[in-house]
Amino acid sequence: MDEILRGGIPYGSTVLVAGTCGSGKTTLGMEFLVRGATSGEACAHFTATEPSVKLLENIRQYSFFDMKMIDSGLINVFDMDVLYSWLGLEKASFDLQDVYALIKAIVDIVNTIGVTRLVIDSVTTLCYKIKSEQLIRDFLFTLGKKLATLGCTTLLIAEITSATENAHWSSFGVEEAIADGIIVMGDVERMGHLLRYLQVVKMRGTQHSRAKYAIELTPLGVMLTPMLKWGALNDRAGSWGA
Amino acid sequence: MSREVSFDPEDEEFFGSVGSFGVPKFDDAMRGGVPRGFMMIGFTDTGSGAELFGKQFTSPAEESDNTMYVSTNESKAEISRIFTKYDWPQDIRVRTLGEEYNSKVLEKELLASRYRLEGFKLPDIQRLAQTRFVEDNTQDFLTEMTNEVMSMGPYFRGVIDSLDFFIQRDDQTRVISMLRMMQAHTQMYRGLLLLMISRDAIDAATKQEMAAIADMVLEFKVRGIGSEFETSMIVSKFRNAPENLAVMVYRVTAEEGVTPETVERIV
Repeated sequence: MDEILRGGIPYGSTVLVAGTCGSGKTTLGMEFLVRGATSGEACAHFTATEPSVKLLENIRQYSFFDMKMIDSGLINVFDMDVLYSWLGLEKASFDLQDVYALIKAIVDIVNTIGVTRLVIDSVTTLCYKIKSEQLIRDFLFTLGKKLATLGCTTLLIAEITSATENAHWSSFGVEEAIADGIIVMGDVERMGHLLRYLQVVKMRGTQHSRAKYAIELTPLGVMLTPMLKWGALNDRAGSWGA
Repeated sequence: MSREVSFDPEDEEFFGSVGSFGVPKFDDAMRGGVPRGFMMIGFTDTGSGAELFGKQFTSPAEESDNTMYVSTNESKAEISRIFTKYDWPQDIRVRTLGEEYNSKVLEKELLASRYRLEGFKLPDIQRLAQTRFVEDNTQDFLTEMTNEVMSMGPYFRGVIDSLDFFIQRDDQTRVISMLRMMQAHTQMYRGLLLLMISRDAIDAATKQEMAAIADMVLEFKVRGIGSEFETSMIVSKFRNAPENLAVMVYRVTAEEGVTPETVERIV
């Protein structure tokens, strides 16, 4: 990833990691935190899509992950349902005050424990409770701005149904507009196999590659290989072949 | 499937066919008291003394462990103070749902407000990061109250003051369903159950439905006459004994509690 990005994600960036179901978004996000924790950075993961217990259970299978990072407080995993409960936000939809309470809570956590790497998995699930598009935009913009001020690099994981060229990189159409970077993850069918791929669409402040890379989720972590131009069914029909 | 409850003849003789209201003059006016198996509902005005009447109703406490007073507004200390003042038995079962609600629900809401206003401190964050499950604080007070009544044995005596608490928090149709269950239990176990509810807490249709379920309907009213207040109770329904329907003007004294002054029959 560092090579693709010609060095890495610029500090303080808010990056949208948009991908289809099973494309490896959560693993990529967790590895991003693990690599940071390994070098002594304080990291935080907010899980809204699955319970934190299940997330930790699933991530245990990767050898790059070590539970000691959780136990020692280098990686702090927060269950959004618990956070909602603590903030009195156990309701179907959030209003402006609720949204600001949530931003304040996340920023408080980042600020208090000095988080420099943050993953919100997923921003789609989180924004699902915010009914107005304007409020979603406010939420993401304010959150991104505050986190950037604190020097926190954030991955906002977004679930999308399709990663084709005509698709939006977000569910609500606003996430991509406020992000400093967009990484798209999806599947491509090749010779009867469904290959996972990753593509950096945008990354402010970098001269990144825009090619598609095949992803392999190995026990050692996410492995990327350049995709060959030939063979993809989608490549013949469209213009996204790398 | 209907259950059958067998009653000991000696108990039948001891408890009798009617129970006291806890107000001798009221017993006289009602020709002995309230028939066993009756569920009564009292529609109340603020300041009518209905709360005191509810407590006074528990005072005969034929069996203290089978006598229950459920309050949704007062604390145990306040209730105890009143029982001490009038020298009514204090060894009855008292449950203060208002206090429980305050400690379980409002306390959590207060903490949430604090987090929202003041933010998280480091120990809060550490605890949050280690909390994997949402603490289940949901408590169905209506079901608990119903279960409390349903757990009472034969010839029980109970007061719930008031249903406003449940009407404000639950679906009204659910409250009505629970009333039906409690009425059936009271009838089956020959208990005496008095339920209080503010007249303004419900609409006319709900009031009508509640009155239809109850065996006896009492209306506690207060009105200003000049510089004085007059408190009165209307017995507007008495199942199978319409001759007992009456309007009673009563006063509250420091010695006897609620004391009827005049009784006027409704013809």
